[in-house]
Amino acid sequence: MSDAAADLLPGTLELLVLKALSLTPMHGWGIAQRIDQLSGEVFRVQQGSLYPALQRMLRRGWVRSEWRVTEHNRRARYYLITPAGRRRLEAETVNWERTSAAVNGILRVRLVDL
Amino acid sequence: MIADLVERLRAIVFRGRRRSELDEELRFHLERDVEARVRRGIPEDQARREAALSLGGLDQVKELVDDASGVRSLTDLTADLRFGARALRRNPGLTATIVVVLGLAIGAATAVFAVVNGVLLSQLPYPHADRLVRILNESSPQNRWGLSIADYLGIREQQRVFDAVGLLRRSSMALTTPGGEPEQVQAGRVTPGFLAALGVRPSAGRLLAGEDERPGAAPVVVLAHDVAVARFGSAAAAVSQAVTLDGISYTVVGVLPPGVHDLAGFEAGVWPAMQVSTPPRRGPFGLVGIARMREGVTPEMAQRNLTAISARIFPLWQSSFSNGSARFIALGLRESMVGGTARPLRLLAAAVLLVLLVAIANIATLALVRISAREHELATRARLGASRLRLVRLVVTENLLAVLLAGLAGVALAAAALRLASAFLPGLPRVGEVSLDGRAVAFAALATLAAALLVSVAPAGAVIRGRLLDSRADGRRMSAGRRANAVRSALVAAEFMLALPLLATAALLGRSFLNLQHVRLGFDPSHAFTIPVSLPEARYADSTNGVLPTTAEFWQRAVQRAREAPGVVAAAVTTSLPPNNGGDVNNFNLLDHPVPPGSEEPVAPWSGVSTDYFAALGIPLLDGRLFSASDTANGPPVAIVSRAWAARHFPGRSVLGQQFISGGCTTCPPTVIVGVVGDVKYLGLAGSGEGMYAPIAQEPARGAQLVIRTAGPPASAMGPVIATLRSVDPGLPLAGRTMDDRLRSELSSPGRWTILLGAFAAVALGLAALGIFGLMSYLVRRQRREIGVRMALGAEPGAVARMIVRRGMRCVAPGLAGGVLLMLVAARWTESLLYGVAPRDPPTIAAVTAVLLASAAAACLLPGARAARIRPAEAIASE
Repeated sequence: MSDAAADLLPGTLELLVLKALSLTPMHGWGIAQRIDQLSGEVFRVQQGSLYPALQRMLRRGWVRSEWRVTEHNRRARYYLITPAGRRRLEAETVNWERTSAAVNGILRVRLVDL
Repeated sequence: MIADLVERLRAIVFRGRRRSELDEELRFHLERDVEARVRRGIPEDQARREAALSLGGLDQVKELVDDASGVRSLTDLTADLRFGARALRRNPGLTATIVVVLGLAIGAATAVFAVVNGVLLSQLPYPHADRLVRILNESSPQNRWGLSIADYLGIREQQRVFDAVGLLRRSSMALTTPGGEPEQVQAGRVTPGFLAALGVRPSAGRLLAGEDERPGAAPVVVLAHDVAVARFGSAAAAVSQAVTLDGISYTVVGVLPPGVHDLAGFEAGVWPAMQVSTPPRRGPFGLVGIARMREGVTPEMAQRNLTAISARIFPLWQSSFSNGSARFIALGLRESMVGGTARPLRLLAAAVLLVLLVAIANIATLALVRISAREHELATRARLGASRLRLVRLVVTENLLAVLLAGLAGVALAAAALRLASAFLPGLPRVGEVSLDGRAVAFAALATLAAALLVSVAPAGAVIRGRLLDSRADGRRMSAGRRANAVRSALVAAEFMLALPLLATAALLGRSFLNLQHVRLGFDPSHAFTIPVSLPEARYADSTNGVLPTTAEFWQRAVQRAREAPGVVAAAVTTSLPPNNGGDVNNFNLLDHPVPPGSEEPVAPWSGVSTDYFAALGIPLLDGRLFSASDTANGPPVAIVSRAWAARHFPGRSVLGQQFISGGCTTCPPTVIVGVVGDVKYLGLAGSGEGMYAPIAQEPARGAQLVIRTAGPPASAMGPVIATLRSVDPGLPLAGRTMDDRLRSELSSPGRWTILLGAFAAVALGLAALGIFGLMSYLVRRQRREIGVRMALGAEPGAVARMIVRRGMRCVAPGLAGGVLLMLVAARWTESLLYGVAPRDPPTIAAVTAVLLASAAAACLLPGARAARIRPAEAIASE
């Protein structure tokens, strides 16, 4: 399964985490699950990348964290998106769309188009 | 940005909590992962294994999170510090060397900075002290003299640039309080403007007011705080009390703040008001004029105003004083106070800075040698993954710690040294104000920082250039890098370059000091003592007025009675005393070859003496006659001159019978020269021997010195002489001092500067020798194998030793050449401090160079001998 998992472009993980958190506050495990699920299991988020990324985003003020109790009555650290994080998400989304459109455009070029 | 900082800070402050939170978070993650796998039907054992695997190592994740949280650099720092501290403990010899050498240098530099700052740089302790000036008469920069009452009145009335102008006349007065013993105290008779200009505030009562200086006003006095406390118990209790000064009753109107022992640098315990009335003539001069410039007035504006006033009032007094080039000048008060001490102090500052640089160069060499010794360790660290930056930090932190310790030691040392400074440098103005203040501590911190930087730069450079890290795997056998060797040699050469001028200047000062000790005094100080006497105006008149005895009558009786005391050979009175109590300097115009009208008249030290003065001091009569009892106030004015004076003004001719106009007094009859005596110095031992004498009967004087020559030890005759004098006037405070003692104190100041500079020079010499010793020892150790090979090929041990010494000399020689150049350039700053020896005296420079060469050679001998003892077989096999 991990063989099929795609590599994330640098910076993409943070975009995905922000997107996931923009829907609802979640703990680390939940974020990983949600990204796996939303990507149709294309991306497998590694903990070795996820937690350092969360730590970086805390420092940049895009997310904040607090300890909450889960539905199963367990203590877990939840991450919440901040207003700065939402702005970042918007900017990154626009950026991503422009980049991916450009990349797609290039990839669709055939010899006859030239 | 702020979130970043907060998060970082939290990460550091709550490190323990953050760790456990991260643990919990990751554990939670792991358990959920296992649960999920079990739900998918995987057996729990296997699920746990898979989950752990997918997490990719718990510790690794934690490390990565640490990196992301930005605490990494700080944990490294503490590790570096801990490592540095360990390294220092492991190498106590090196640590001790750094702390002692740099600590001493930083301490000395800080102490000297505090003195220089306190004496030369810092503002005087008066509000807006930069607006205070001293006003003097000047005919040329070499000839300046104080104001007279007439000058003061003229300036006070006509000036437009000052807020206040004041006058001070210093004397010593007999102070009596009800029920107390008479005590001779320093007195500063001042006009109200003097205190107003300085801006001092009373701690009790009031200071002087305008009406206090009017003639006939009730006499009032302001007391120093300690005098008020000693006499009346407290400052407040002294106000309105009566004290007696020289027999006249004064009312205490106020007390100065505690701790104020001097004003504008003039120490006094009592400050009576000076009453000024228009004088009959321009002189006498010698009073201290102080003024405060108005806000916005520049020194140039003040000077212009004073020049204009000079042009207006000098002609008014032409009959009693004429000197066409004279005018009033305003000098900054601080400059005028610091005066002659600025030069030796600056020299001291330069010297201590050189010592500091030598010490830094020394430690930098040590650090470089040490880093080379650690090549192997550093190379291993580099291969194990330490980044180059991390290695630099490791090396620098270690040095930093030691230098920091040295800085702390230096501050402690400076504090101790400063406590001795006022005792060791008593002649220094303002030395009482010197303390280890914030600026001195800041200087020490800066010096420490600079030392740390300079000491670290070479080793850090060695690591960055990577010479160490690219060494071959075994890290040995690598011959010392050419470049590192060059840096080390340059550092040692620099030590010698800086040490040479220090040593040479100390040697010059020493020679100059010896010259001063062997100056021909021109008089015989043994078996002589002196008693300063100052006659109160209340009991003695300047000239016969039928009511009070005159000062001249007192001097005559005092000399007569002292002569009768047991053990006394001769007794006399004089207004000047050699070698440094110049009394007056008088201007004169020779009738034989007068100066053109309006130009400056010649001047010479001028003393009023009684007939036996020359006998009392053993000054020989060379031509003509001495004064006699017939040279009275009513007789024709006569003078005796010294041989140097005669040689200067009448070279090759007899001066007997020559006449001159004394002191610019055009209405006085000319003075006739009746004798020539041997040269005596009145303006310091380094001064000239020119001098002029007048009979004290013709030169009324209130303050003078009794000079007594004794048959036996002078100290034992003091008591009887003083007892005899008390029978002439029991109200005079009298204390004697031997001439030998006077001479000793005249020599003590140059002696102390010489000792200080000599100590610095000795330290620099020692450090430089230590530097070359360390370098050559290191080279011998490094090149053991090479030397072994040479010896195996037949080199004699003696030749090997000589080779090492020669190599040391090659390293030192350019430094010495640079040092000689530096000395030649720096010589002009030492010139005025030397007596009887040129600042570029070739034998001294040659001798000092030889001493440095010899000590360098001596320092190389031990490493040379070690090299000669190397056994070729062992040395080659050991590698």
